[in-house]
Amino acid sequence: MSAPTTPAGGAPPAGTSDAGTGGAARLIAKLEQELRDLWKPPEDPAATPLTRVCTMNIGVVAPSRELLERYTPVIDEVTASIPARAILASIEPDGGADEITGSATAVCSLSGGKNICSERITLAVHGNASARAASAIEALLVPEIPTALVWLGRVHTDDPVFEDLAGEAHRVVLDSEYTSISSVIHVAAWARGQRNAPEIVDLAWTRIAVWQEMLARFFDDLETRPLASKVTRLVLKQACDPGAGIGPEGALMLGWIGTRLGWKTSRLAGALRLKRADGQAVTIELASVPRPAGVAPHTLAGFMLEAGDDPKAPLLRGSIERELASGLTDQEDTTRDADVIVWRCAKADRAEIEQRIRLGANKAAKWLERTLHRPARDVAFAESIAFAEHIVEDGLTVS
Amino acid sequence: MTTPAPNPLRRGLIEDRTGDPCALVIFGASGDLTRRKLMPAIYNLALSRSLPSGFATVGVARRAKTHAQFCAEMKEGVAQFSRRKPIDPALWSDFERGIGYVQGSFDDPSTYQKLAAHLDEVDKERGTRRNRLYYLAVPPAEFATIVANLREANLVADAAAERSGGPWTRIIIEKPFGDDLQSSRELNDCIASAFAESQVFRIDHYLGKETVQNLLVFRFANSLFEPTWNREHVDNVQITVAEDIGVEGRGKFYEQIGVTKDIVENHLMQLLCLTAMEPPISLSADAVRDEKVKVLRSLRRMEASTIRENVVRGQYGRGFVRGEEVPAYREEPDVAKDSRVETYVAMKVLIDNWRWGGVPFYVRAGKRLPRKVTEIAIQFKQVPHNLFAAPDGGVSPNVLAVRVQPDEGIALRFTTKEPGNATVLRDVAMDFRYGSAFGSNTPEAYERLLLDAMRGDATLFTRRDEVEEQWAFIDPVIDAWRDQAAPPPIYPAGTWGPEQADDLLARDGRRWRRP
Ligand SMILES: NC(=O)c1ccc[n+]([C@@H]2O[C@H](COP(=O)([O-])OP(=O)(O)OC[C@H]3O[C@@H](n4cnc5c(N)ncnc54)[C@H](OP(=O)(O)O)[C@@H]3O)[C@@H](O)[C@H]2O)c1
Repeated sequence: MSAPTTPAGGAPPAGTSDAGTGGAARLIAKLEQELRDLWKPPEDPAATPLTRVCTMNIGVVAPSRELLERYTPVIDEVTASIPARAILASIEPDGGADEITGSATAVCSLSGGKNICSERITLAVHGNASARAASAIEALLVPEIPTALVWLGRVHTDDPVFEDLAGEAHRVVLDSEYTSISSVIHVAAWARGQRNAPEIVDLAWTRIAVWQEMLARFFDDLETRPLASKVTRLVLKQACDPGAGIGPEGALMLGWIGTRLGWKTSRLAGALRLKRADGQAVTIELASVPRPAGVAPHTLAGFMLEAGDDPKAPLLRGSIERELASGLTDQEDTTRDADVIVWRCAKADRAEIEQRIRLGANKAAKWLERTLHRPARDVAFAESIAFAEHIVEDGLTVS
Repeated sequence: MTTPAPNPLRRGLIEDRTGDPCALVIFGASGDLTRRKLMPAIYNLALSRSLPSGFATVGVARRAKTHAQFCAEMKEGVAQFSRRKPIDPALWSDFERGIGYVQGSFDDPSTYQKLAAHLDEVDKERGTRRNRLYYLAVPPAEFATIVANLREANLVADAAAERSGGPWTRIIIEKPFGDDLQSSRELNDCIASAFAESQVFRIDHYLGKETVQNLLVFRFANSLFEPTWNREHVDNVQITVAEDIGVEGRGKFYEQIGVTKDIVENHLMQLLCLTAMEPPISLSADAVRDEKVKVLRSLRRMEASTIRENVVRGQYGRGFVRGEEVPAYREEPDVAKDSRVETYVAMKVLIDNWRWGGVPFYVRAGKRLPRKVTEIAIQFKQVPHNLFAAPDGGVSPNVLAVRVQPDEGIALRFTTKEPGNATVLRDVAMDFRYGSAFGSNTPEAYERLLLDAMRGDATLFTRRDEVEEQWAFIDPVIDAWRDQAAPPPIYPAGTWGPEQADDLLARDGRRWRRP
């Protein structure tokens, strides 16, 4: 599939509207007309006709126009593989005159000789018009198909724009890397109180999915399975400076392991301790590795666990090391940071087994795409994030 | 027998599907199928992180070659035929460490001793846990020899042991599963002498195709269609498996087989079963296959008199396909000048059960037809009373077409009014295409099927009774042709088969679709 493009002449100039009485309605009518015009048969009979495909609505809300502009190519890339109507809105209640402006365009990729097109609507909302943003976005949603709301920036459940849009959505996509684990927890709690609650998903959770799978493999073998209840030590590595706190990926990972293995958190003189179901302590260490240029801070870089009856003589030692920035650039869908992960499992009296796998491209578009493909209901996420909050609150830091 | 406790880290884990640790042993590892399909599929499973951590591939074939030579051949095959290119060096080096080659003849017991010793090593070094997946990528004549030798060499684990968490053994077999009912029974008996049916995975690669799997989802996850999926509403069903190519240098093979055994007995029968079956009680392998077998058992058996009426065969003559002149079948290399092998077959099939009583299933398959297309078309009944004067005097019935290849998708044809002051009717199609809606980089059928076999999921594989019922239906047709003096009628290449095929439907007042 080719990179997404907007067809020549297909992108009409940005429409504007004041936010006075009827202003937003006029803008919506104008945008709807622009969308209809996009799908008229081309006047030039030799032109490749555009095929409109729409499998979902993707609403994106950003606190500034700059952030939205930076995120627009991400959405274009996502809609090249999940054809959708994307409605991208920057909402700046404190800036500019009270107005909503907007434009609509088609974003197409050439696939199998056909121009497969999604629709992209961009809205810029300023000042008091912000109160109308949610209703303007809702009016533009295609009915009968799922809606995902991607909320960039800080999130507050008492924000009426968020509340209205999230109430219309099937899933709300956040990234705890940019908001915080706590705000994701608050949103999840808010959702539980709603009648038709959307599913709350976190891109950081999608990013650790491969780690979860690789970690689960240590206990797939019937011989090692009983050792899952005998983990004695865990080392988490993240790309950061010494002294940094645990990042969302690491915290979610610990939250996931803790809830799966029935661990409890406890305090000793105020310091966090993790205890297994049988009451034995688990040693947790957070280590740092140098962060190569272009790698996000707090990126999960490695994992090691030991298990057995005697912490000094573990029966199982498993590690997962990420070779940061080891991606290839000549592969389709791959980037420098589509890193190799080396999985190793050593058992007493056995040869060490090793496997290398390659992570997918570490691109915002890929994570969003994967998140949208995952089943929405994910019980493990809700459980893990609550556990993770303790770990973040208690400030586990790199020793 | 105790069931082992589940892995706690898998509780609630939304998994990417991964295979169980195992050694994949490919018999016929220097052959065409291994190079073109199997190795690229395994490599793509590695790329998509679907291979287990404990994994090894062991090739077995006759020719002597070093490990390095074998790896180089496999790498070359992957480089040429993988759907994702170029080869990722970091992954390939890891993958290559798990490749081994055992040289020997299939009829020589020492081959299996060497194999057993090699597999012991692999278990230690690669963590394959004594799980074995045998793949017979060999001519069918070799099946019995290999199966008997595996049994003799103690290379087949007890199926019961697997249920209590012990090592498993599975065997994948490529079509053809026999040549007729008798030989398929013999083959199945031979396999059963070493393997329990739960260990046998018979590949019909059509079942690995996305659209074929989607047929189950389409039928049983949408309440709209199932209530109309019966004799009350359906007028007829047409299943077409058309190829535009000829025998492509495989004249010798084709002379032995013909289109009925090559396509109808397996792929087309499977498409028919998935279209006609009742809802299974679950998606477990046996629940789905039980329903398919019921369809096969309900097929009205063909007798000499009905065969003449309901079956049409043909053979392509010279003609034009896609604007190019192409030779007749009898002019192809390795084909007899007076060959009577059919390259086209059309049948009217009846299913004697409550759902389908009286609804004809018209099926056809052929080579050198105008286009490559596989589709299932459900043609609904006419409206009971026509209110509208359409140009051809009637309203065309609704058609639901499931396209299996190419352009996988589903199209529903219905009638609408053209805008304007007059009531002018026009047929329009609601057309859903997979490639457009979900992107086109879907896994190859072999990837899905290999992964399923590694996971022990036999839903998309054919069970013994299915294969035997398929042959039981086809055998009388083949036998009747053997007794017929006349050769199959010739149809010009690039046409939709002989005229007699059109007559088959015309007699019932119907026409073939032009897919
Ligand atoms: N090719 C395809 O795309 C395709 C598609 C669907 C089904 N199939 C089926 O898959 C099977 C294999 O097809 P293929 O095209 O790969 O066949 P092929 O190219 O002829 O390869 C046969 C393989 O079997 C080995 N072999 C044969 N007899 C042997 C013996 N006595 N001892 C040891 N090794 C022996 C050959 O080894 P040496 O080379 O060392 O002699 C070679 O590796 C056939 O049943 C075919 O119908 C093939």
